[in-house]
Amino acid sequence: MALGKPLTEYESVKKWLAGLQRQWGENPADAEERLQTLEKFCEFVGRDPDAIIQECVREVESGKRISVKGRRFYHERIAEFQSSAPGDPRTQVQWGNTVRSFLIYNGIFMQSGAQF
Amino acid sequence: MIGRRRSIRYFQPWRPVEREKIQTILEAARLASCAVNASFLRAIVVQRDSLPRETLDMLKTPVSANNIELAPVHIYFYADLGAVPRSRGATLKQLVDAGALNPSHGWSHEFVETFVWPQILEPMTKSPVQHSVGAAADCGMAICQALLCAFDEGLGACMSAFNPGIAKQAFAVPDDWMPIFVMLVGYPAESWEAGGQRPRPPFGELYFEGKHGKPFERDPGVVKELEAAGMIQRAAPLPWRKDEVRAVSRMLGLPE
Repeated sequence: MALGKPLTEYESVKKWLAGLQRQWGENPADAEERLQTLEKFCEFVGRDPDAIIQECVREVESGKRISVKGRRFYHERIAEFQSSAPGDPRTQVQWGNTVRSFLIYNGIFMQSGAQF
Repeated sequence: MIGRRRSIRYFQPWRPVEREKIQTILEAARLASCAVNASFLRAIVVQRDSLPRETLDMLKTPVSANNIELAPVHIYFYADLGAVPRSRGATLKQLVDAGALNPSHGWSHEFVETFVWPQILEPMTKSPVQHSVGAAADCGMAICQALLCAFDEGLGACMSAFNPGIAKQAFAVPDDWMPIFVMLVGYPAESWEAGGQRPRPPFGELYFEGKHGKPFERDPGVVKELEAAGMIQRAAPLPWRKDEVRAVSRMLGLPE
């Protein structure tokens, strides 16, 4: 699935990069590798970044809640995506954690468990 | 220090407590573990002798009257039930910024702002039971640190109930502070052993392994080590306790 616009124009991606900058002082311009991985994941699941976040959230009267179903779905997809990554286990973990980081900085609480 | 702590009920009423020791006690409380970094505990330190006689008498409850009378320093502890509503998750975000709650464990500012505050913390603050239980548990942890610290400073202390209505009026306590306990502090008039370590239920009746009903097995070797280290001490009453109580009571003009 081709994305409708550059990855960095999606609100969820902007939020992710801003979060990384706040947390680690990371320059968004240095996030090329991360962005490539996220883009691969978008292709893998056939959704754009904002749609991924939207699927993990449900609106209720009092505001937003994390959708258990949505989060579980992506938890599983990330695990599959990670296993499909070429290279050594370390690279695979990096792929998975890049996507997890994208979700986390968008407020989708997610834990991978230790992977070593 | 855990082994040496006793609830001290006989203080030297004439001996003031150094201000720096009181500060140290409060510093210990401030560093306690607390849920959502809320720091529920509040304290008002009162010098007994600065209180009008009438107020002091009114603060006493039937079982705390002597202790309140004898202890030169009272630390009135409260849970500030406004702490979480005021912070609206800011204290959690401080933990994110401080590197205590990290993305490695799923934490982010966004998670706190969008989900934790509106969906978990705010509803919790509207449940009087859940909120006060959580706050009281946190205050208990902080008070425990303060209590142990008091003994570490060579003081004696005892937790006690107090009359919250009178205290609220006397100390200008805010409406959303929930009374917990008063810690009565002073130099002990009894020996530090205070007659021995107080009776507690058997270990196996309190703690379980895997499921309720299967007592956590108590290793006698560990008990021996703890005895040698002074954490587990001679059980009350020590043979001379009655004589001590009588002597201290006479010294302080208390009934025998």
